[in-house]
Amino acid sequence: MSDEYIVLKEISKRFAGGVVALDKVTIDIRMGEVLALLGENGAGKSTLIKILYGVYSADEGSIYINGRRVDVHSPTEAIKYGIVMVSQHPQLIDTLSVVENLALGLRNFNAFTSIRKISSFILEKSREFGVKVDPWEKVWRLTYTQKQLVEILRAMLLKARVILLDEALTYLPLEEKKKFYKFIKEFTAKGGSTVVITHKIPEALDVADRIAVLRRGRLVGIVEGTSARIEDVRRMMFGESAAEITYEKLPASQPGGRVVIETQDLWVTGDFGEDAVRGVDLRVREGEVVGIAGIVGNGQRELTQALMGLRKASRGRILIDGRNVTNRGIHEVREVGVGYIPDSPLALGISIDNSMAENIAALYQRKSALINWSEVYKVASSLIETYRIVIPGADSLIKVLSGGNIMKAVVSKEINYCKKALIAHNPTRALDEVSAAMVRRSIKEKAINNGVAVLLVSEDLDEIYQVSDSIHVMNSGKLYGPFPPDEAERSKVEHLMVI
Amino acid sequence: MRFIVVRRTKPHQYIKPLIIVLSLLTGMILVAILLVLIGAHPVTTLVTIAYSFITPQVVKDMLLLTMLGCALLISFKGAVWNVGAEGQLYVAIIPIVWITLYAVPWSASSPPHQQVLVILASITVAALFGAAWGAIAGALRAYVGIDEVPVTLIMNYVAYYLVNLLILGPFRGRYVYGYIRTDDLPDAYKLSINIVMQRTGNAFLDGFLEFIRAIVYYAYWVLAAILVALLTWVVFNYTSIGLRIKILGSNPEFLKAVGVDARKTILTALALSGSLVGIASAIYYLGDLTRLTYPIQSQTASYGYLAILVAWLSMLELPLIPLSAYVVSSLRNAGRNMQIFGLGGLESTLILLGSILLTYSTLRFLTEYEVRVVK
Repeated sequence: MSDEYIVLKEISKRFAGGVVALDKVTIDIRMGEVLALLGENGAGKSTLIKILYGVYSADEGSIYINGRRVDVHSPTEAIKYGIVMVSQHPQLIDTLSVVENLALGLRNFNAFTSIRKISSFILEKSREFGVKVDPWEKVWRLTYTQKQLVEILRAMLLKARVILLDEALTYLPLEEKKKFYKFIKEFTAKGGSTVVITHKIPEALDVADRIAVLRRGRLVGIVEGTSARIEDVRRMMFGESAAEITYEKLPASQPGGRVVIETQDLWVTGDFGEDAVRGVDLRVREGEVVGIAGIVGNGQRELTQALMGLRKASRGRILIDGRNVTNRGIHEVREVGVGYIPDSPLALGISIDNSMAENIAALYQRKSALINWSEVYKVASSLIETYRIVIPGADSLIKVLSGGNIMKAVVSKEINYCKKALIAHNPTRALDEVSAAMVRRSIKEKAINNGVAVLLVSEDLDEIYQVSDSIHVMNSGKLYGPFPPDEAERSKVEHLMVI
Repeated sequence: MRFIVVRRTKPHQYIKPLIIVLSLLTGMILVAILLVLIGAHPVTTLVTIAYSFITPQVVKDMLLLTMLGCALLISFKGAVWNVGAEGQLYVAIIPIVWITLYAVPWSASSPPHQQVLVILASITVAALFGAAWGAIAGALRAYVGIDEVPVTLIMNYVAYYLVNLLILGPFRGRYVYGYIRTDDLPDAYKLSINIVMQRTGNAFLDGFLEFIRAIVYYAYWVLAAILVALLTWVVFNYTSIGLRIKILGSNPEFLKAVGVDARKTILTALALSGSLVGIASAIYYLGDLTRLTYPIQSQTASYGYLAILVAWLSMLELPLIPLSAYVVSSLRNAGRNMQIFGLGGLESTLILLGSILLTYSTLRFLTEYEVRVVK
């Protein structure tokens, strides 16, 4: 391993409301290594690499590249130094094709170069880098994984020497993630360097040469990936709160007899006109947590959206608390008291340009002509305290929060809202282990204490096993099960997920 | 040493009004420099423009544009672009003409309370007509998916021709001395307070008294502007519909996901916006216009279009609407004065407006970014 290439020295950053995002953090990035940046939600990981990428500027501190002090005030400058960032949300223009998107950033072609020539170049390079993508495909038709692949390809075309992955792999299914890590290993073996931001310790241990841990804006320490133990890293990340992390099965619910969520031969059409959900029969009783495991893209999103009334069912019936709500729209479903944690929280779960209080009011005070703000602020304060959301105040805009805290805002609002049922799709994705454990506990408590029927759809099999009272597997739009978690062998469930 | 532009991590408290004032000053200086080319002394240009900000003529325009700016703010906040205030303004006058001249005309034998009732009824029906006119574009956008910008724009012309048709036909006045227009609004229904002030001979004092006279003359307008601004503030801060409109403007998908019908919200935003235009329209007709002349499109002062500028200049911030309205009114006034004082023709006015708006568009980035000096 070669010497340090980039040094971020004594970097400090404060945000609105006096939130200290970074406090004199010093960290180095070496060529030929994978550096994992770990930390709980809001620890300052994203802020640090956004400073390196020129998105933010540091209040104090300096950046050295190859021993020379540099100013990185914009991503364009960062790219000149060979630093490219891939974020959680693909920065592509949906209406353009892959080649058109990539051509926008390329400097080795002029305005008169034919798009065919650029396409041939991209195709050649994508083969060289081992990234399979059709240059002529419109971006809106790509899956999330393919979009992230295009982002990686863009980084390579921009001759990246250092790739910053800002939770870029968080929403990827496990199998796809493994492919990405393989690619990253190859990239670093050729002398490149990668900084991976994640909150999944096992992944960091798997892939990283070194692990740097941030906590509340401070660097706790840097450990070697090969010698680090999961417990030690956890303690560095969470301190005493690490004790709250558990993957033990949560107490089983005592479901009542009443069926709250029911589908009968449900068929739902997907975005491309295909049958995404095919004849699903599902029953969730009051107080019961039913888990649906499966690899992303097997109809889970279409199923949850149809249950909520956000997508039309092409055939079959949906009953919520005995009421036929098939194709009646989300208004009727919400009327019954159904909470919804969507798979795409930034689109359907929250409005980031509004405050936490406004987001709560939009849901909770839906039916009143006048808003009772004192009631809204009471709920907001309680959620901020219970879920430990790091936010300057309930009237702060959501967009100033870190990704994890945004997710906590979405999840807490919906768990607290639900009266009869909760439909949760990947509720802990983007959350650190302590927060994820807390959310799982809250979901289970809602089922046990309030008799709420919970449909938990997750790609995280550990989560499914920990919380569910019965397990289904969804594959190619069909539902398999139910299986009691104590009897369902993990290998069988995994097999059903991939057949 | 060099300048760098970095994204703000926290909003600057006074940056928005500061940008408006800075744009104004830069625009004025720019136009003064440009007019040197036609031989105008820069000091004369600057004094003429500055004078336009303190003349009584700005009072009327400012009050009306404040009301219209608030009306447009309602829809613009929801990213629903109502550019049809001009049409809504004239359509809302139609029922007032009918009520005041034909349905309940004033006569010597009319009971005194008729005056108040007719004025209130006029304001109410104007609000309803404005809302209905706005709702047409709202319904087309919400339920048929037709962009509201061309629709509201085209409906301005529909409104002009509808009003023209009525002036040529049923609304044509009997006491118009051969002109093609409606009869004058009866004095009893006029919303203005006329006072006479003796001139003192002191230019400064007379100017000040003229200002007072204008404010008293438009006292009802002041009241209406305050009420409209207050209503807008209440809508956005205390009502569900206001919150829905704000969320519609930032994330319509989330609005749907909480169980709100986004289509109804679009419709309501345009209807509400139209209804406030209707209120402004009633105040304008009862307080100043008092009759409609054919062809209406060549008589209009284009307040409906200027209001778009007011809303845009305010960066969709309600407290900045009166300031923006004041700036736009004064610039309009400055354009007139520059022509009167021989500082070019219409082109000078347009250069002045263009310079200010160009500077404003450039400086707007300061709301999101800051400029730093680095060594």
